[in-house]
Amino acid sequence: MSKAAVAPKIGRPYLIEVRGLTKEYRNGAGVITVLRDVNLQVTPGEIIAIMGPSGSGKSTLLYILGLLLPPTLGSYTFAGQDVLSLDRRGQAEFRRHKVGFVFQSCDLLENSTVYENLEFPLIYAGEDRQTRPAKILAALERVNLSHRVYHNANHLSGGEKQRVAVARALVNEPRVILADEPTGQLDHDNSQQIMDYFQKIIATGETAVVVVTHDPEIAARCSRIHTLRDGLL
Amino acid sequence: MRLTDLLRVSMRQVLRHRRRYLGVVLAIAFGTAGVITIITMGRQFKYNINQDLDLLGKVTVIRFRFDNEKASRFQWFRPEAAAAVSRLPGVQAVSLLGAHKAPVVWRDQRQSLTVFGVDEFFWEVNNYKPLNGALIGPEAVAGRQRVCVVGADQAEKLFGKHDVAGLFLEIHYDLYRIIGVLEEAVPDSLSQAVFVPLTTFQDRLPGAALPATLFVRCHTWDDVPFLAANVPKVVQSLQEAENLQVDVRWWVWNRTVRIAWWVEFFVHMAVGVTLVLGGVGVWNIMMAAVRSRTREIGLKKAMGAEDHDIMAQFLTESLCLSLGAAILGVAAGRLAVEIVGQVMGTRPPESLFFISVGLSLLFALVIGVGAGLYPSLQASRMNVVEATRYE
Ligand SMILES: Nc1ncnc2c1ncn2[C@@H]1O[C@H](COP(=O)(O)OP(=O)(O)OP(=O)(O)O)[C@@H](O)[C@H]1O
Ligand SMILES: [Mg+2]
Repeated sequence: MSKAAVAPKIGRPYLIEVRGLTKEYRNGAGVITVLRDVNLQVTPGEIIAIMGPSGSGKSTLLYILGLLLPPTLGSYTFAGQDVLSLDRRGQAEFRRHKVGFVFQSCDLLENSTVYENLEFPLIYAGEDRQTRPAKILAALERVNLSHRVYHNANHLSGGEKQRVAVARALVNEPRVILADEPTGQLDHDNSQQIMDYFQKIIATGETAVVVVTHDPEIAARCSRIHTLRDGLL
Repeated sequence: MRLTDLLRVSMRQVLRHRRRYLGVVLAIAFGTAGVITIITMGRQFKYNINQDLDLLGKVTVIRFRFDNEKASRFQWFRPEAAAAVSRLPGVQAVSLLGAHKAPVVWRDQRQSLTVFGVDEFFWEVNNYKPLNGALIGPEAVAGRQRVCVVGADQAEKLFGKHDVAGLFLEIHYDLYRIIGVLEEAVPDSLSQAVFVPLTTFQDRLPGAALPATLFVRCHTWDDVPFLAANVPKVVQSLQEAENLQVDVRWWVWNRTVRIAWWVEFFVHMAVGVTLVLGGVGVWNIMMAAVRSRTREIGLKKAMGAEDHDIMAQFLTESLCLSLGAAILGVAAGRLAVEIVGQVMGTRPPESLFFISVGLSLLFALVIGVGAGLYPSLQASRMNVVEATRYE
């Protein structure tokens, strides 16, 4: 079931270490337990695939890893730091500098150009205006979209949107990329290309990638595969 | 988030959604233009109405008169007292008037008529025009000329016609050249009288030929009560002043003020309502924006925006809206002020204009912050995932 308990190689501390993670959603109908006692370790230089049936809590897990959602129970350390105890400010800073997030619905800012979409993470990170274009272009080049820099995001095809979302997650050079089905709308070639970039990125040994996917081909290219079922990893 | 980025991003947002914001912007711009016009031109406007209302009764002219029949000694207005009065706030013009019975002779007709000694301001203060010829002007007064103006009725009586300029009239054994005839729409006592320069009057007529009447023309009717109360004090501080009477047509004044109050009330209401609606509009549109842009908010938070980044962005957008609208309103207001000034034939008072511009911008600032604060606070407190999952 899980290979997560494997100890890290010597000299390679965990980037992400999650223990006993439980998430319950409370709504009018009652309490839904989506994640039960999940343990997960990620070392830099890895691509982790998360698989599992629809509704099994994959997105929820990713949100928690991105500090977009607080867990009900459990601990989460990132590069040795307990990030769950951070205040709102600290969490925003964490998202800004450490995480690149690709949403399942590949949300782009509406009525904005591709450039503007990629600029926001840099704006929030306090990047100089002069150095932004180079970074944005570099990120777009990685997803083969440098010819669409000034296009309106609304007019892109589904696959192009997804690639912009990936580029946006890359642009800040984060420590971890959390991608929720980044290839869901892409054809085989483009999917493989995205995986190529992910692999290029982790090759530096500094960064890790967590991908949620339904595609076994994608999963096959990852270092490890985790399957979520009934809230258990 | 840097200020330049904040301004750029917010301005972009407002410009891209300008159609959504157009109504609110126009409402605020319209209200602002109204406020600027009212503040800048209000006084001029009232002043013009005053002049038009003169025919109905001189609401803004106050007459101060020494009742010399009761006085133990003859009382009259000293020039320095008149000068001090003319410097009081709200005074448009002052005029001194002396009256004396004197024998007036034309050919074989000899009668005792009222002769008025007037300064050059008398006509302006009372808004009198000549029927023909000219009225007594500053040169005639300064030069102590022997010239006179005849009332229309008296001209008819003495000469059988109105066109008498250039003829000579004997007043108290001196010959005076007639320079003009006063219009007919004046009180009887004036239409029957003869007018000479006040200086000549004091020089040449016998006895107490001195100005015992002072006319004060107020800028608008609002100045009347203050001046009616304070002119006597000023006069008394500079000279002896026994039995000084104040004549104001209070009943006309009351009615005028009441009508004016209602007119003003409605104009101010209209402008106020427009501005309040503008404020409510900004509030409403920002609330709607926060609701419809939940995804955007969540997304930006996921990209690392802090609460205060989101708040600053919405607040700046709301400020861009209201300040942009106000600037538009200032431009429109300037235009309106110029047009009103042209129509009324006056230059707009610049200092009032700048005060009104300052007030408008301040108001826009208050609307922008006031109406934008709550929505932006809401936006900033939004939970990230709920925001991104919002449909
Ligand atoms: N805010 C919420 N309130 C209540 N239940 C929720 C909420 N968000 C998610 N859930 C439920 O939690 C479960 C897990 O959701 P999640 O989005 O993590 O699934 P997933 O594995 O990503 O599914 P998919 O593959 O379809 O994207 C689902 O059953 C969903 O209905
Ligand atoms: Mg999902």
